[in-house]
Amino acid sequence: MEILKISESDFLSFLDKKIDEKNEKVIGVVKKGSHFVFNELESSDKLALDYDVTMLPPKKYFQPPKELLLKYKPGDSESYQAVNNCDPMAIVGIHYYDLAAIYMMDRAFSEGERDEHYMKKRENSILVGLYPTKYFKYRFAKSVVRDQAYKVADLMMVKMNGEYIVEVVSEKGKEFIKGGNFIKNNYTLQEIDDAKNKVKDDQKIPISVELVPDYLGKNHAHPVWEVFGEKCFSCGSCVLVCPTCYCFDVRDEVELSLAEGKRIRVWDGCMLEDFAVCADGHNFRKEKGQRFRHRIYRKGKHLPEKYHYFGCVGCGRCQYSCAADIAGPVKVLKYMEDNKQGGQNV
Amino acid sequence: MCEDCTCGEEIQKNSIYLPEVAELVSKKKMTDVDSFFEFDLKGHSLGHLPGQFAEISIPGIGEAPISISSPPSDDNKFEMVIRNIGSVTNAIHSLNVGDKIGIRGPFGTSFPMNNLRGKNLLFVTGGIGLVPARSAILYALQNRADYKDITILFGCKEPGQRLFTDEIEEWKNRNDITFLETVDTCNGNKWDGNIGVITTLLPKLENVDPLETYAIVVGPPIMYKYVIMGLHDMDFSDKKIIVSLERRMKCGVGKCGHCQMDNIYVCQDGAVFYYDDIKHLKEAL
Ligand SMILES: Cc1cc2nc3c(=O)[nH]c(=O)nc-3n(C[C@H](O)[C@H](O)[C@H](O)COP(=O)(O)OP(=O)(O)OC[C@H]3O[C@@H](n4cnc5c(N)ncnc54)[C@H](O)[C@@H]3O)c2cc1C
Ligand code: SF4
Ligand code: SF4
Ligand code: FES
Repeated sequence: MEILKISESDFLSFLDKKIDEKNEKVIGVVKKGSHFVFNELESSDKLALDYDVTMLPPKKYFQPPKELLLKYKPGDSESYQAVNNCDPMAIVGIHYYDLAAIYMMDRAFSEGERDEHYMKKRENSILVGLYPTKYFKYRFAKSVVRDQAYKVADLMMVKMNGEYIVEVVSEKGKEFIKGGNFIKNNYTLQEIDDAKNKVKDDQKIPISVELVPDYLGKNHAHPVWEVFGEKCFSCGSCVLVCPTCYCFDVRDEVELSLAEGKRIRVWDGCMLEDFAVCADGHNFRKEKGQRFRHRIYRKGKHLPEKYHYFGCVGCGRCQYSCAADIAGPVKVLKYMEDNKQGGQNV
Repeated sequence: MCEDCTCGEEIQKNSIYLPEVAELVSKKKMTDVDSFFEFDLKGHSLGHLPGQFAEISIPGIGEAPISISSPPSDDNKFEMVIRNIGSVTNAIHSLNVGDKIGIRGPFGTSFPMNNLRGKNLLFVTGGIGLVPARSAILYALQNRADYKDITILFGCKEPGQRLFTDEIEEWKNRNDITFLETVDTCNGNKWDGNIGVITTLLPKLENVDPLETYAIVVGPPIMYKYVIMGLHDMDFSDKKIIVSLERRMKCGVGKCGHCQMDNIYVCQDGAVFYYDDIKHLKEAL
């Protein structure tokens, strides 16, 4: 893998050039109030790569909160037309755990029945990763992600002394940086590695990540589900902010004029009360505790058993956004460890 | 930005959410809320297996997963029975012959009719569960010589909710199958048949050899536990019990998450399962 570097100011000029060229939308992290968000850039002025965490992960570009799937004339079954907005885009400054989450989304949407609506947006995108430069108190990514970021990143950046070290991960990445003032890197691999690991996580899951699936399996009846479920508001914030949640609802919307109808998919989540309600009103996950357990099982048991990676990337967003202060996997596993059930825990 | 873009054509070709068109060719009321619908795909057959389902689309209203009630066939027609329970099903009920619908599918697993050859079949169906089971029942009757004894049990809440009454009459009169039915209550209607829940029919069966018989169980969620207990009393092993499970479904293609049961996507890995394969799942029954 080729490693280059570029000064911060040259990098900003490079982005301005990219924005002017309009070959793709350039998206980056910007400040919004006291938070950070991914947003399309009109110039590099607003770019704020020194960030702790963004409110939403970049998945919103590949699975938008409200996404048009089909257009049609209401009442005319012969008029269904599939649509996809897959304008090329480059997303700059994605932390490694969010890249790992994109890799997981790619697996979900490409395996089995291939979802072209998602995959085409991904194919037309360039992902520029970044190692975090700022601490976030809920982050525990180091204890759960491996090297998945490199399976999707086109470029990976590490900030060192006012410069960016740029690892050229893919051909697409190489093509993208043509024309920028990227020069030969003179840091040693050890120095780069140290810089990658400079920002520490305060949190980590209390047991080794490989053991979690079994651990959860053995603790299906642990009181944590009921205790935490009792406190849950079923607001769904934890699933909406999660970079590895992709469940959706499909709905029809018709313009008031009745001239055009749309079939859209919208974010949905297993923590919402009616997620598993059937036609006769039967709710397959009626209790809040059942829904709470399902969400944690998905991250810590079902996805790991299927794909052999942990289904949570440790971004900490769920814990941060939970009004009941219960949603974080660290919080859940710690409670279980602190309240071991006779012989049940591993 | 996307001037020479071909994604429009590509997505029209590749979208897993794009329905095909089928035409309603006949329609018949069955109960106050259930009607029978026959559709024609024009051009090609649906290519389904017994027990599979499809997503039926009404533009402007939405989609609903519906079981295919007819057996596999080479012609382009297929049958469904739909309960009018909400927005999409209501819109389907108000269609007239000649109207078009959208359809995606077939989806899901099917009753393993090949593995069941040479065995006895015991269908245990409750309410609208007869609808998917019928695709397997009719298949077995079309291939009658391939199966040994065929027994069909059907139970519903009250006489007014009986489905396929003409076919039931025919099944009753056939001497190469056994058909028994019951209603939970006669609810003031004239009824001289069995009264009681579906499990009360099981003890009426004589000479069921649990080693040579497969039980196919389809009904509302509440029914499974009791029927399976009854089958256990008759010494059925879990490998010889086949179930078709209902879940909330949206996409039908293993993406949206609604149908998930533990780690399984019922729309893809089911809805038909050997009970033995799912009995360990906490969210199954
Ligand atoms: C595999 C499968 C096979 C089915 N086969 C048949 C069949 O042969 N005949 C038949 O009449 N019905 C069948 N159903 C049920 C049928 O899908 C629902 O009745 C239908 O989706 C309701 O849609 P609606 O728009 O009319 O109702 P809505 O207006 O959407 O809602 C009415 C009620 O149904 C619930 N509901 C909404 N969407 C679904 C959904 N996708 N799945 C389950 N419940 C839902 C709602 O929460 C609400 O309680 C089947 C369901 C599944 C999963
Ligand atoms: S954010 Fe917290 S309160 Fe809201 S659904 Fe998730 S766990 Fe429950
Ligand atoms: S479960 Fe929470 S910490 Fe894990 S990836 Fe999702 S939002 Fe981040
Ligand atoms: S119905 Fe969407 S995943 Fe099964």
